[in-house]
Amino acid sequence: MNKKIHKTYFIEIMVNGEWKETDVTPQETLLHVLREKLGYTEVKEGCGKGDCGACAVLLNGKPVNACLTLALQAQKQKVITVKGLGTPEKPHLLQDIFVKHGAIQCGFCTSGMIITAEGLLDRNPSPTREEIREAISGNLCRCTGYKKIIEAIEDASKKLKRH
Amino acid sequence: MEYIQPKSLREALHIMRQFKNRAKIIAGGTNVIPDMRIDAIKPDVLVDITCLKSLSYIKEEKKRVKIGSLTTVSGLKSSRIVQDFAPILCDAAQQFGNPLVRNRATIGGNLADASPAADTAVPLLVLGATVITEKEGGKGREIPIDQFFLGPNQTVLKPEEIIREILIPKPDLNSRMFYLKLGLRNAMAISVVSVAILMEIENDVCKKARVALGAVSPKPMRANRVEEILKCKKITGDLVEKCSQTVEEEVQPITDIRAGGHYRRSMASVLLRRLIIQVLSEGRA
Amino acid sequence: MSDLKIVGKNVARHDAWEKALGLTCYAADFSMPGMLYGRVLRSSYPSARILSIDISKAERLGGVKAVLTAKDVPKNESITRFGQTHTVGGGFEGLYRVLADKKVHFMGEAVALVAAETEEIAEKALDMIKVDYQLIPGVFDPIEAMKSDAPQVEEGRSNIITHYEIRNGDVEIGFAESDMIVENTYRVPFIDHAYIEPESGVAWIDENGVINIRVSTQMIEHFREVADVLGLPHNRVRVIGTNVGGGFGGKADITVESFLALLTYKTGRPVKLTYSREESILSHSKRHPYVMYYKTGAKKDGQLTALEVRLISDAGAYIYFSPWVLLLSTVHATGPYRIPHVAIDGYTVLTNNTFTSANRGFGAPQVCFAYESQMDELAKQLGIDPFQIRKLNYLEKGETLATGQVLDHYVALRETTDRAYQALGDKTTPKGGRVKVGQGFASGMMSYGRLVFLHDTSRSQVSIEMDGSVTIRTGVQDLGGGQSSSLCQIVSEVLGVPMQEIKIYISDSALTPLAGTGTATRQLYMSGNATLMAAQEVGRILLSKAGEMMRIDPRRLDLMDREVIDREGTGKSLALTEVVKACASDGLPLYNVSLFKAPFRNLTQYERIEGQVYADFTFGSHAVEVAVDEETGKVQVLKLISCYDVGKAINPLSVEGQLEGGAIYGMGYALTEEIIMEKGVTKTPSLSEYILLTSMDVPDVQTVILESGEGVGPFGAKGIGEPSVVSVAPAICNAVYDAIGVRIFDLPLTPEKIFRALEEKKKRLKFD
Repeated sequence: MNKKIHKTYFIEIMVNGEWKETDVTPQETLLHVLREKLGYTEVKEGCGKGDCGACAVLLNGKPVNACLTLALQAQKQKVITVKGLGTPEKPHLLQDIFVKHGAIQCGFCTSGMIITAEGLLDRNPSPTREEIREAISGNLCRCTGYKKIIEAIEDASKKLKRH
Repeated sequence: MEYIQPKSLREALHIMRQFKNRAKIIAGGTNVIPDMRIDAIKPDVLVDITCLKSLSYIKEEKKRVKIGSLTTVSGLKSSRIVQDFAPILCDAAQQFGNPLVRNRATIGGNLADASPAADTAVPLLVLGATVITEKEGGKGREIPIDQFFLGPNQTVLKPEEIIREILIPKPDLNSRMFYLKLGLRNAMAISVVSVAILMEIENDVCKKARVALGAVSPKPMRANRVEEILKCKKITGDLVEKCSQTVEEEVQPITDIRAGGHYRRSMASVLLRRLIIQVLSEGRA
Repeated sequence: MSDLKIVGKNVARHDAWEKALGLTCYAADFSMPGMLYGRVLRSSYPSARILSIDISKAERLGGVKAVLTAKDVPKNESITRFGQTHTVGGGFEGLYRVLADKKVHFMGEAVALVAAETEEIAEKALDMIKVDYQLIPGVFDPIEAMKSDAPQVEEGRSNIITHYEIRNGDVEIGFAESDMIVENTYRVPFIDHAYIEPESGVAWIDENGVINIRVSTQMIEHFREVADVLGLPHNRVRVIGTNVGGGFGGKADITVESFLALLTYKTGRPVKLTYSREESILSHSKRHPYVMYYKTGAKKDGQLTALEVRLISDAGAYIYFSPWVLLLSTVHATGPYRIPHVAIDGYTVLTNNTFTSANRGFGAPQVCFAYESQMDELAKQLGIDPFQIRKLNYLEKGETLATGQVLDHYVALRETTDRAYQALGDKTTPKGGRVKVGQGFASGMMSYGRLVFLHDTSRSQVSIEMDGSVTIRTGVQDLGGGQSSSLCQIVSEVLGVPMQEIKIYISDSALTPLAGTGTATRQLYMSGNATLMAAQEVGRILLSKAGEMMRIDPRRLDLMDREVIDREGTGKSLALTEVVKACASDGLPLYNVSLFKAPFRNLTQYERIEGQVYADFTFGSHAVEVAVDEETGKVQVLKLISCYDVGKAINPLSVEGQLEGGAIYGMGYALTEEIIMEKGVTKTPSLSEYILLTSMDVPDVQTVILESGEGVGPFGAKGIGEPSVVSVAPAICNAVYDAIGVRIFDLPLTPEKIFRALEEKKKRLKFD
């Protein structure tokens, strides 16, 4: 009988500012660990292989697909999910603006979309519309047609400028 | 499965020599992870080289540019050095996958995966790049990029070899280069055809040309016959036509769900013609 | 209806906040203590006999708690019902089989179920199940499947599921009177819903012995079917619908519910089942491919005289919604046009392909592609402006469809087409090279609300709390289209209570009055009306008591801002909470459950469609500008305008969202999406191969909302969720024709198809 035993490894990841620990196997993805072991179910699985962007998180400040990152590759790294950007008491500007613009329908792409938007605005605070389109081109949305999402991000960038 | 994160390239090389085919190098993971997900690969050991910061760099030297193999595609896209000396590599990086993937995928990984449509391979072929590898015991090689690929997902790399860097000679001041990719959508598109051209032009005469194509043969290819036609010739309408006809004969495209062979063949010709015309009308060194 | 305070205003949806904050618990985000993980073993072949299934090794694997096959299902075969309680008969309801028994009919059909302690163990157990298949010939083309010697997909019955026909006048006469006849065949492919959330659910048995299924679904009414499958009384199964991460008709069928119920029933433990994307694409329903033969005749001034249509749809391996979709297509096959002589025949046929069912548009987009292409072709042949020819033939209020159904409400097509076309503006100058720019438009119609033969109803309960806050309970499913939020707006309008003080509970088959399905663009119409009725009744009780207390005729009183005020300006008012307390004190009901009925009809025969089939229709148009690269065939959509009469926009922001999203859904249908199936095997297994439009592919959709006020929904609203997709594809095709003089008759318009069509055109010109 083919008995393949996978070694497990203890890892620590900083998620939304808190250190979290768990055991993982080598091929376990960051997505799987965040959702199934650490309870961060706001990170969604839409395809499991980088085709849809629903699982986008900030890894050391850069937006990446959590499904294309091994959990072990996030060892001692900083991860931010959409819950780390804002809370009900203190929502992030992007969260507020997405709601006000009607940029959220079913909401399943929203967590990843807001993370990617934050990654963009952090790097490029005054993006053009084209730059916004490009930045979210790895985040699929089946509901909105993207228009209100692009408008929301553009509006957010203007408001951020003023502060 | 075991996971090892070597602290140095030396350690990584030692591990690869030990485990050879039983080990798999993982960097950005954008190919390795999807492959593992469907059990296309089942390594005993995963060797994670992402922490080898010494392999992530873009350096300008007097006659060449050196790019560490762990440089991400995002890094290529936003590098001033690459933009100045290898702008077509920037263009390819810009159209690679999607922004999230670009933040993880590496140039070394893209080459090692050796897809016939590999986005970075096509510009590197016309740039005359060299792939520098390392092996334990100092037996690394300098592999010219046009000898690097053997076939679909096959390279000359030995199991214990790791790509250290890619060298790109600075192009001649008379060089003009362009790149075009045709996909079924404007982002997250696997190439239907991609073409790159580099021409050294002096007084309207093409002294030398390099033409490379992706997704139209078992590996990213140089169109040697087209290059011969262009060499030391004044570019005329007839010459351009001859080139586009010849490239149709040189490519060996397959029919798959993305496109048919006839279409790919025709598009190779269309894109090549457009690139030559662009070289004539615009051009940048 | 003047001076509406909240209906008609842009309102930030309450569910949007939770989604933005990452708080929404979708189906796969939920866990229960002691939960097991389910997996489904699926058929490796599209057509085969199952000689044996050996589950012994799988059962013995440590951590495996259940391995089930067809023999373990108490009632493996039943009748598909989609929430209706009225049996229509005549093949309308089809066979529903939970697990394959003795035969597999399509690749991806469920063969066995596993529940185990971890996902890894469940996966391993699947690999250990040995199924002995004997390949048997299958049929993969519906036209082939119609032949008498074709292999039977389902033993003992014809592959032809249903035939519908419409006859009006005499097409022989009609064509004889025509000055021009245009005949073409149109083809459209399998399409995936590609919701970003794959199918998922968790089931458990509660302390009352009730099987609870918390699932992403458009139809909580499936609790009845699941109970039947288990041989349990209906009140022992409860379906709790979650916020759906995209439905589009793909979660209208039973997806994971029966599997979850069986596994939890067998093991006694909670079970979770989530599909991978590949499994979702492999196993869930698809949009019906159609082959459509159209023969249209017109006089030289463009007046339509005759139409002959033959529709053949691929139902795939199981019936599901196929007869319903066919019925809708057949009724809509004429388009919104006045045609005196009509002969339409529609067939839906079983094959060994993946089964097809509801997909946003439900048969309307397919025929719209055909009839709107025909209109432009006729215009071209007759040398008439495409807009003029349509204006000449558009139906108007009071006229009848070919079925004889009278269009009781305003038909705004002249306006929608006019406004959409105007918004296009002048043709963009192409950026040189071999790019040609073209403009085109198309208009369409689609019913909203279910077939009247189904006797559709919806229920909603509105209650007011002691402190004046309001609770709504209704079975509505929220697919993200603002279904639940609109109901809050309606109640806020009627009871004068601010939106923040209204809470809505939805989608629980045990605890919320059943509101019918989240399909057929019916929720605003049906549940909106039910909720309006319930709120009005509560309002009536409150105002009656208030009138007593204020000694004013209740007819002069209004509910506004948590007060009862005298409309006639005496300045008298009363706090709402005072009235509520008084009602409670007197034992008056501070709630109402209302039932809203759609028009009911009964079928007397099942072939010829005559009379009213739907309650009402939504009409709209799309105008498009495209840039076509003549050498590569690539199409870029530069402008896309959507103009619809929505009756009344309850929340204009939500309506825009539906128009924008629907336009892009339709654009994908036109340009990039196709589930490629070869001999029953899916060749586009993931989102790498099935191409959805990204933000870099889409134009800025412009929307124009018209409000005739003549919908049959609350405040005169119409449904828009599905209609917003219908006419995009033909608009794009017409624009492409304008650009390069080539018409494509089958979707999607891939660059390669356009390239080949241009090559053909060049060859033809050479020989002319």
